[in-house]
This record gives sequence, structure tokens and C-alpha cells, in this order.
Amino acid sequence: KPEALEGIRVIELATRIFGPATSDYLGEFGAEVIKVELPLRGDLMRYVAPEGFYWKEVSPAFLSLNRNKHHVAIDVRLPDGKELFARIAEKSDVLVENLRAGTMDEWGIGYRQLRERNPGLIYAANSGFGQWGPYSRGRASYDATAQAVSGMSAITGFPGHPPVKAGFWVGDYTAALFSAISILAALEVRRRTGEGQLIDISQAEAMIRTLDWTWPYAGLTGKDRPRAGNLDPVLPPSGIYRCADGFVAISARDAEERAGLLEALSAASGSAASAGEGLSADQVAAFSASRTQAEMLRAAEGSGFSAAPVVGGEDHYRDPHLRARGTVWELDDPLYGRIDEYGPVPKLSESPGRIKWTAKPVGYHNEKVFNGLLGLSREEVQELERKKVIGKWADAPGARPPVEKER
Amino acid sequence: MSGFDAWAKAATDPGTAAGKPEALAGLRVIEICPGHFGGMVASSILGEFGAEVIKVEPPGGDPARRYAPEGIAIEGTGLPFLSEARNRRFATLSLDEGEGREIFRRLARGADVIVTSERVARMDEAGVGHAALSVENPGLIFLALSLYGSFGPCADSSAMDSDILCQALSGAPHIIGEPEEGSPPLPHQAPTRLGNWHGWFTQGLWGAFGVLAALRFRAETGKGQFVDVSGAEGLMKFADYNITWMHTAGKSRRRIGNFDPAVFPYTYIKCRDGHTFMAAYNDEAFDSLMTIIGRPELAGDPRFSSPAARVRMETEKALQAILEDWSQHLTADEILRAIEEHTSKKSGPGAAVVTGRVNRPLETLAEANWRERGCFASVDDPVYGNLLLAAPPWKMSFTPARLKSVCKRPGADNREIYCGLLGLSAAEVDSLSARGVI
Repeated sequence: KPEALEGIRVIELATRIFGPATSDYLGEFGAEVIKVELPLRGDLMRYVAPEGFYWKEVSPAFLSLNRNKHHVAIDVRLPDGKELFARIAEKSDVLVENLRAGTMDEWGIGYRQLRERNPGLIYAANSGFGQWGPYSRGRASYDATAQAVSGMSAITGFPGHPPVKAGFWVGDYTAALFSAISILAALEVRRRTGEGQLIDISQAEAMIRTLDWTWPYAGLTGKDRPRAGNLDPVLPPSGIYRCADGFVAISARDAEERAGLLEALSAASGSAASAGEGLSADQVAAFSASRTQAEMLRAAEGSGFSAAPVVGGEDHYRDPHLRARGTVWELDDPLYGRIDEYGPVPKLSESPGRIKWTAKPVGYHNEKVFNGLLGLSREEVQELERKKVIGKWADAPGARPPVEKER
Repeated sequence: MSGFDAWAKAATDPGTAAGKPEALAGLRVIEICPGHFGGMVASSILGEFGAEVIKVEPPGGDPARRYAPEGIAIEGTGLPFLSEARNRRFATLSLDEGEGREIFRRLARGADVIVTSERVARMDEAGVGHAALSVENPGLIFLALSLYGSFGPCADSSAMDSDILCQALSGAPHIIGEPEEGSPPLPHQAPTRLGNWHGWFTQGLWGAFGVLAALRFRAETGKGQFVDVSGAEGLMKFADYNITWMHTAGKSRRRIGNFDPAVFPYTYIKCRDGHTFMAAYNDEAFDSLMTIIGRPELAGDPRFSSPAARVRMETEKALQAILEDWSQHLTADEILRAIEEHTSKKSGPGAAVVTGRVNRPLETLAEANWRERGCFASVDDPVYGNLLLAAPPWKMSFTPARLKSVCKRPGADNREIYCGLLGLSAAEVDSLSARGVI
């Protein structure tokens, strides 16, 4: 089937997660992404390895962020490197970067300079605190900066215990999705007008946008919304409960589901519940504690409330439902062989997303892009290599290709 | 900085948005998502970029209006609904009967996008599913939001989509929170939900993303399509290397509190006025941090000498204690200043020492930065009074997103929509209303 974003070219100059995930999401739906890294070490995310583990010389944490990309290595700090970068940007529809605010402009390859050469360019400037304003100057940010300063962590966790940081980089991915959405909106208006634009997106501000009723509550009451542990304070007693063999989420969204839950609880305790009696989390906890996940799911189905198991990565890996949906994607990569990853989230019937290949070593696609897209001669490319304007991988895990015996 | 920040401010300040064009002007979205917050998010995002959104509620109002934490409701509508009801027109319509369904089909004929959280089977049965509607409107983009998705072995589950179920199945709580220590474990040593409705929120964001990708395809081909988004999968995607790590190492992540299995330091540390985030995980940044805390000799300590050494759990705990020895005497702001003073003289990997106070919401609100950047809007609504809302987060130079309205009562725009858009007479609208169809 065709791809939704076929014909869209994205140039990425970004490290770690926020920028790379943004272009990864576009690449899943057919955009051609050219990922620019510094020669040798490349994106520092290459060295973020869970428990220090590398597989075939690549970190599994790097793979899931950099699929369907063309990897080139340019030293954009050198004048010839800047020019080379600008020549790719001239031929691109979208630029994604996540350097500290103003860095690209200082280097002479920011939005102000590039739009002169390509007025249709959509320039996504992803950062911690935005491109302007009191916090923007020189201040770095990671996922958890956004989790922290937005207020998200303060409302996550249990009363009487410290705020909880999510164990995954939710402040990067959420903001990356916001960024990708705005790029698609900007592409839509460019189609009608031919005009590109600058998009300034702060990961902290993206997280602020997701905190639902936190802000009107603070505005009305002058109070902080408290941490509510595993109880959903809007739809109690919906929440996460310990059961005999793990944990289960119980959900009752409306009166009908609450009645179903009450019925299950009363049947179990042998006492008829009075209609006026509220449902307490303690009752649900007691009911759940002595039952297995499977029993809880059956009780939900039988009585008319909702439930789901609390699952993790291993459960996902073994879940036939997720494999049937391509949410766990089975990829045959030309360099690494079989590697399974999370696939595209939205499933489009006519122009579905797909994973075509996974991340590659630093500079792996230099020839393809420099000779192919830019039309440089072999001699020109060699000259750029000699001057260290372009390059390839360092001889180190994370940067280099799999060693021969492992292929 | 050669004036880039001033230039960027002049180009993208949301305060100057009025009068600028909107990216999605002319796009009509019909939202039919009773009781469902994810659908509201998807439509709000499209609406913030200029799409015309019509929210169709059951007569009497959307059940989501009754979601009211601490019982706080304004004119019968709770705060979660009010936080996400922006930039819409409000119609009521019952899909229980043929007459209402026929009206819905007429609405869909003139729409670009349908956003629904109703079961696909129920919509099909009522003759208002994707297959039926796309015959009359082949360019229609039909977004279906659900817990498990609309195909696959679990698609027929009877579970009713909600944030807590999306979170549970996403794998997020599995890796959030304190591990169990001792027996019996304490109640907080459990997989922990994100405090906000992040499951529902990301479901809506992915829905908007899918619609926009489909819109691009339609612009090229004229064809609409069906877009299927599972809320569980939306948040699952953010747990990134779960699958690659299982596949390559046969390992999966566990809960380890505020530690991190892949990078360290990357943690919350105690400080004099609460907690602050502290990260310095590549070698150069770690050296910087040890200098900042006055322990430069630790950069050469074999326990801490490489990223792989630093992510061993006993090392993470030792480092946590070392960092807190230093930080407990300082406020979060003093820590930020100490780091900035050091890193402003550096560039490259050595400058990657990163911090940020763990703010309570009121602390975030008290910081002038966010207000200066237009992140919050205090809006006076004629029905719902003064409300503090999160504004669209993007700052865009050509087509800024914007917040244009807060909410209206159920059916407030019935006459405008049914007479203006569908051409019904006032008498017909009154009759539909009298019979409970609208």
C-alpha cells in the first residue's frame, strides 16, 4: 500500500530522544528522514544502553528511535559542513532539531538563515524551555526536566510519599508527538500557500498541556491537586489494585459499570448491597487481593464492569494481539537480521505506517545522500572525507557496524 | 546570541496570533465520543490548529460532563470536561433511533473527519460506521479510538475504554514506582499510574497525528480512510526499548523508583525545598557534576568510571547518597545556579548537566516564564465563569495554534448547526427537540 507521507523529506540534526523521536514518527508513515550526526561518535543516544548492554554493537535503546532513517555524518561546526548541511536543508520540507535554543542560529544554519534559501521549510525547534523567554537561554533539558518542572511528577505517586518520576522518558516522547503533529499541520497549510514556518516547542510546555484538570482546579481552589496514588480521583474506585498473582486495573466509568462492580462485590461478600451505598477502594482492594488476574477479568465480564491486567514489556513481546496488529513489529533488517520493535501506533487502512529498516551505524548512508541526493562526485566526497567534514563511525560499540562473525 | 531570541519572540509570541491564518481552516470535524476524554483531546488538538469542531452529545449532555473530582462542577459540568471543551460548537443528537442516525449521516456527508470512541460494531449496526459513511463521502477520514484497537484477537473485549485501562495495558505503570521490599510489601510499592490522564491524552494525540497523516494522503489522492488507534498502544509506544531489549537480551524493565536502568545520574534528589531532577550521565557530564559538588576525585573512582558501571543498581544507590549529601543543604534554585555557572563555560558533552525543580502545580504557575510565553490562559466564559486553562503549547510563526473558546451548554449550537448547516427549518428543529432526538 502507499505511504501517507511519501515525498516529504525531513532533515534531522538532533540527539538523544526529543528530536529523533519526532522524525521517527514521520518516517514511520513514509517521510524520507536524513539523520545528520557528528562523525565518529554520532548521536550520544548511541551510548545509552540498558544495563550497559549492546547487541551487535548497537544499543537496543537507540534502535527504537531511529527507524527508516538515512544516517549521514557531517561536522556542522566546520564551514564546509554547514554548507553541506544547508544544501540538504534546501532540498528538504522539514527540519527537526533539538539543540539548545539559538545554537543553530549561532552556527549560521538556523531558521533565519535557511529560510532565505528555502522559504517553504518547516523548521521544528524542539527544546526544553523554548526559543525565547527567561528560561530559554543556554538551559539544557531532558525528559525528566519536563516531568519535574511541569508539575506532572508532583501529581504522580502516593500521598505521604515523594513525587514519582516515570521510569521511561515520557517527557521526551510526549513532546515529540506534539512536535510531529504541528509539523503535519504546518505541511497542510504549506500545501495551500507554499509557506514554511518556525515551530518553537518546549517539552515542559507540552507536558503542561497534558495535565488535564490540574490547572482549572488550581485556578478555582488555589490549591495543588494532591497525589492520589493508584486511584483515579475522577472515576473512583477505578484504579490499579493488587491481586493474587500481580496487579489489575479496575474501571467503572458510569453508573452502569459502578452497579456491576457493586454487584460483584456484594455477591462475593454474601451481603446485599444497598443502592445508596458507595463503592470504596478498600472494598475493591479486598475483593481483588484474593483473586487472580484471570478471575478479575472474568468477574468484570460477568458483572459488567471493566478490567485489564497490568502488563510489562515481556507481556507485550509475547502478546499475539499486539503482533497481529503490527504493534509489535517483526522486522527483517538488511544489516542486523531479525529484530522486533514497537510498530506504528495509528493504523491507517489505505496508507499504513511501517518499519522498513532499523537504525544504522554513524555515516552509513553517506554515499547514498551525498552522491545521490546532492549529486556530488566521488572525488568531491573523498575530498570532504579528507578534510574531516564528513566521516563515518568510531571504532566503538554504539557507533560501528556488527563485527563480521556476528552477521 | 545575535538577537535570535528576540527575533523568535517577535515571530512566534502567541499574544500576536490574532489575525494570522490557521493551519487547518476549512476542515470540519464531527466528534462523537460520549464519556470519553481521549476523543476530546484529539478534536481539541485539531481545533487548536483551526479545524471547525462540532461535538455531538447525547440529548441531556455528555456523560463526561459529570466527571467531577471533589464534586466540583460549574453549571453541571466538571473540570476535566471544561479543560478540554475548547474551540467547539455543541450539538445534541441521539443515535438510538433512525431519525437521529439519518441526521448524523447528513452531518457526516459534509464533514472531513469523524472522531469517535463508540464501538465500531455499534456504529456499523446503526448505519453510521466507516463503511456506510464513506460511500456517500469517499474523502471522509474516520478516526476510531478504543482500548485494544478495532482488529486483532482482543478487539472484541467487552471492556469500556478508560484512562486507567489504557495505562495498565501500556506497560507504563509496570515501570513506574517503587519496587517491593520486604513482606508484605507496602501499598505504595506497586506499579504506579501517571497522575494525569496520560493514557487518554496520548490516545487523543496519536488520533490527531493519524488524522493529519491521512489528510496528507487525501490531498494527494482524494481518498479518505479508516484510522484505528488503541489507547493502550499510544502510551506503550513511549516505553520505547521494551521490545528491542526483550528481543536482543531477553530482558524487560522492572520498577526501580526514581532510578533509571540505562542512564545515571538521572534521578530526583532531595534538596532543602523539596526535590529536584539531576542528570549527568555521559562521562564528560559526570566529571562536570563531580566538580560542581566539590568531589572531583570521584570522577576517577573505578565504581563510577563508565556509563555501564554507573547503571549498576548498587552504584546508583551510592551515587544517590553522594548527591544528596551535597544537595540537602541547597535549594533547587541554588542547585540550578551552581550548575549553570559551571556549564556556561563549557560546550559539548561536558555541559550536559541537567536539572529542574520538581514543581507542585502552584509552583509552576508562580513562575513568570510560562506566563510570559503564553502557556496559560485565564478565560472569562459567560456560562462557566473564569477558568485557568493550559494554552496550546506550540509557538508558530505563520499559523499559530490558539485557544478561542472554553465550552458551551449541551446543544447550545443546535439551531445554528441544524438550520445553518443542514438546512432544517426552525419548526423541524423544535419538533426534533420535542421528541428527544436532539
